[in-house]
Amino acid sequence: MKLVIDERRCKGCNLCTQVCPYRIFQEGKRPGPRGYVIPVLDHPERCTNCRLQIMYGRQLCGMCQMTCPDQAISWIEEKPYEAHKVVIEY
Amino acid sequence: MTLEDWYRQDRLPHIYCAGCGNGTILNCTLRAVNELGLVQDRTTFVSGIGCSSRAAGYTSSDSLHTTHGRALPFATGVKLVKPENDVIVFTGDGDLSAIGGNHFIHACRRNIDLTVICMNNNIYGMTGGQGSPCTPYGAITTTTPYGMHEMPFDLCAVAEAAGANYVARWTSFHVKELTEAIRTGIETPGLSFIEVMAQCPTSFGSKNKMKQVSQMIDMFRTNAVLKGKAERDRAAGIPLAPGKFIVGELVRRSNPVLGGRP
Repeated sequence: MKLVIDERRCKGCNLCTQVCPYRIFQEGKRPGPRGYVIPVLDHPERCTNCRLQIMYGRQLCGMCQMTCPDQAISWIEEKPYEAHKVVIEY
Repeated sequence: MTLEDWYRQDRLPHIYCAGCGNGTILNCTLRAVNELGLVQDRTTFVSGIGCSSRAAGYTSSDSLHTTHGRALPFATGVKLVKPENDVIVFTGDGDLSAIGGNHFIHACRRNIDLTVICMNNNIYGMTGGQGSPCTPYGAITTTTPYGMHEMPFDLCAVAEAAGANYVARWTSFHVKELTEAIRTGIETPGLSFIEVMAQCPTSFGSKNKMKQVSQMIDMFRTNAVLKGKAERDRAAGIPLAPGKFIVGELVRRSNPVLGGRP
């Protein structure tokens, strides 16, 4: 699963940056297509629901989706698995 | 039936301001409705006039947008004609406590099988931020530029005294608890009243030193006192600090119900 922000619905209130327990949402810098400054995702693969929803078979956490007043946050199905380049920090 | 099916997709994005709490409450309500597995043709949303009452227009099931303060009489009619329907009322503090105050008291007295969700944003948001009966003491609004000098209405206490079967109060910050409360409210026979404190950063926050949405959410987080803690404090003789409010499930009882399921 993949976390996405719908740019047509988001109004840039930044409530998601406050409620996410992993601090995945960060305040954006540049305005989106409708002129609102949309939050950016910082390593969204840390999201519990992205990783574990299929294993548990139910929605986990979901604070951002429930809090978002504009119904802009959702999860979409991802392609099976794509290789990521991992940078190991020592 | 997924959660997205309960939203009326062609009407979104909605007209609420950025950071308005009403959208959060709409999410929680529709999630509770979806988790309960209600049938869309047998669920009716009724609302009056105001920011909060726009919410019924964004649901894809049957919805009634009625006259100011008269959401509860309309909902009573729907419930009595179709007792098998689940009727959920969206209403605001100005709608429910000011112009519709008497309807609210008598709906609680009759104990009709409705779920009333009151989005209390402490102000008349849609008409430009006038003071409502739920504006806190000392708050600055368009009509009270020197601070509100009247005491606010405690809607949960009114509902409890008038005889509602289920009364709860949460804020738009406590989303999980709110969803649980709405689910319990729909399941409970009789009138279930859920008061939700919602933020209004545009009309209320900007005049009361809470211009940012995050400041209003922080205010809810610090000022909400759980019912258990409030009771322990009261037993120890510590009064509730000014500005704080009790959240939690306040009343649950099984009084006789009007218009219940056949």
